[in-house]
Amino acid sequence: MTAPTLPPEARPQYAAALLTALLVLALYAATLAPTTAMWDASEYITAAYTLGLPHPPGNPLFVLLGRVASLVPVGTVAVRVNLLAALCSAFSAGIWFLVADRVLVRLVDDRRARAAAALTAALLSATAFTVWNQSVVNEKVYTVSLAFFAAVSWLTVLWCDDPDGRRADRLLVLVAYLIGLGYTNHPAGLLVGPAVATAVLVRRPRTLLRWRLLIAGALVFALGLTPFALEPIRAAHHPAINEGEVTGCTGSIGWSCTFSETTRTRLLDNINRKQYGKPDLSVRQAPFGAQLGMWWLYFKWQWLRDSHDDAPASQAVLAVLFLVLGIAGGIAHWRLDRPSFWFFGPLVCTVTIALVYYMNFKYGASQSPGLAGVEREVRDRDYFYLWSYSAWSVWAAVGLAAAWQGLARRAGTAAVPRWVMTAPVLLIGAIPLAGNWRDASRAGETATREWAHDLLNSVEPYGILVTMGDNDTFPLWYAQEVEGVRRDVTAAVTSLLGTDWYIRGLVRRPISPYDAARGPAAYRATTWPKPTRPLLSLSTAQLDAIPDYADLREPQIFQAGSLRAVVDPRRLEFGVPLRSDLLVLQLLKENLGTRPLYVARMSGSYTQALGLEPYALLQGLAYRISSAPLRASADTVAIPGVGFLDVPRTRALWSAYGAPSAIVRRGDWVDRPSVGIAAAYVSVGLTLSDALAARGLAAESAAVQRSAVEVASATRTLEWFTGSVAPR
Amino acid sequence: MRITHRKLALRAAAAAALLAGYADLARGGLTAAPLLLVLGYLVLVPLVLLAD
Repeated sequence: MTAPTLPPEARPQYAAALLTALLVLALYAATLAPTTAMWDASEYITAAYTLGLPHPPGNPLFVLLGRVASLVPVGTVAVRVNLLAALCSAFSAGIWFLVADRVLVRLVDDRRARAAAALTAALLSATAFTVWNQSVVNEKVYTVSLAFFAAVSWLTVLWCDDPDGRRADRLLVLVAYLIGLGYTNHPAGLLVGPAVATAVLVRRPRTLLRWRLLIAGALVFALGLTPFALEPIRAAHHPAINEGEVTGCTGSIGWSCTFSETTRTRLLDNINRKQYGKPDLSVRQAPFGAQLGMWWLYFKWQWLRDSHDDAPASQAVLAVLFLVLGIAGGIAHWRLDRPSFWFFGPLVCTVTIALVYYMNFKYGASQSPGLAGVEREVRDRDYFYLWSYSAWSVWAAVGLAAAWQGLARRAGTAAVPRWVMTAPVLLIGAIPLAGNWRDASRAGETATREWAHDLLNSVEPYGILVTMGDNDTFPLWYAQEVEGVRRDVTAAVTSLLGTDWYIRGLVRRPISPYDAARGPAAYRATTWPKPTRPLLSLSTAQLDAIPDYADLREPQIFQAGSLRAVVDPRRLEFGVPLRSDLLVLQLLKENLGTRPLYVARMSGSYTQALGLEPYALLQGLAYRISSAPLRASADTVAIPGVGFLDVPRTRALWSAYGAPSAIVRRGDWVDRPSVGIAAAYVSVGLTLSDALAARGLAAESAAVQRSAVEVASATRTLEWFTGSVAPR
Repeated sequence: MRITHRKLALRAAAAAALLAGYADLARGGLTAAPLLLVLGYLVLVPLVLLAD
């Protein structure tokens, strides 16, 4: 294939691309989250700030970038890391401008007209729901991956322009390096590889036979992988977030323990994400058609999110429109700029069809809600297809530009150029900007931060708080490690207690002193001595020897002091006590009477599963496990379905909680899979309101109820509490 | 291929940034290490590769 001859006016419009990137950055800044958010945002912000290791594969490049971002003196730490996501996506938008501009060179002569079309591509890509939503809070590492995809895309386009030129080999070597480096941000960094290989194979196949170039590419690819060295080095310093603990060093860092078999095995297991044990690809977790259906569901979200199904018909029409535009854009790309098509086409296929097959997801959390009895992902996974929707937007804009030029050719002669007369058709590209603003914007969203403070403050000084998953755990990490809030509390998440490294980290964690001045007023009347004993007395070897589960089939008595609980395996999730359950009971046994143990309200059924219900006293957002069976009294009220409620404590805590007003101000909740947290506030508020009414405190009861109902209304959970809202 | 002073200086700067970054990281550094490593990986090494 010969290189197309590009007209002189085909020079890349770098200044316009820069302006476009700045425009997109301004949009993201205006809709940026002021603090952390649900799901993984807190984990990544905390890992960046502490230069720690988030969940496998550890994302070392992101951690480095995030740490540097956290040092920039602008706003809070969370804002700084959120801005990193915004910068990466704005950079990508600038690159998509250049790509679209290049594709359209042979269709649109006028540079200004072409810039308008390229701006449409950038804007469409930047405001596609998932791209926008992930760019205004650093929830994942995917915006960094997007920036790498975009950079590799432009370099490959430049190579395709002149594959025999003076710079050609340098460009390919740089691409190989960036793919390796991108892999250390996230394995998805490799997804761009097949597209580069296809472009090279089609454009200049003999390149693949030049062994010197291949060796150079392999060497720089390997150099790009070296940020993985950060993992064992940082892990040996035992940072606050040290998932996977990829080091053989148990004390301080050293040569022998770093260059050991243990470190090597743990590092490889971490990079390969062995912890998750995903099934072989031949074992489909849902029918492939359903997995494509999940992609289509999220595709529909991109152009009009409509999170509450207020306009499903409009959403469907727009989805079909942008699907058709994207297909038309792909065809136009094929016709207009074949060399770059051989890169971009395979890229779209890789991040769409191939990725759907590879990810092998179960049914989506929001997919086919009427379909019962199928396994579902715990949350919507649209963010895995961020690259797909971003790239598709470029094609959709190229399709729109082709339609625009078709219209311009048919427009009558006028005093103004035809392309100007027909330019309003490009406004179709602004539909997602208007349609997604409400759902994509994170401006003013502070509920997660408040939730973390509220939950930690529900726990008495030096307490141990048992949590169950991401959303009642990661925000606590953020509050404690980034904001320094209630570091005296030890959060123990059951979903990680099954791993060996997590409990070692908990035991190693120093006990921070309780800061009464920053703590809730409810604890100020008491003196809280700092515990002198460690969390557990077991040695590392003893902890490591705890089995994955105990083969217990019959109910057994668990006794700690005067606490006698009947642990019935049939009430446990997996029918046997898991390692995490055994460790929670051990924590209870060793700390009862010295350090209070709590179970988060979100995990309330866990107290029942362990037979601890007669000892569980609800104090605000967490159950405190008492050392003796509870009895109803003036201050301790037995409430069906809830258990025992500590009325004075909950009353004091409720009045200081910040999340209810934050939720009401926002007027919505981020997604349905995590809305249980908002519902926990509603439940606690309504329960407290009933207890206050029973005490004759009518005015206060009504105020608490009003607040709870406002939260329920804002988060559309009021119907869950029908019958629980008594007239006041 | 001619190695100019500029190329040599770039290579040396990239190698120095990465080595110093990892040395500081091993020491437990939380500020200079990430700055040096990001400078090395995202600025200097790409410049070296484009210059070579």
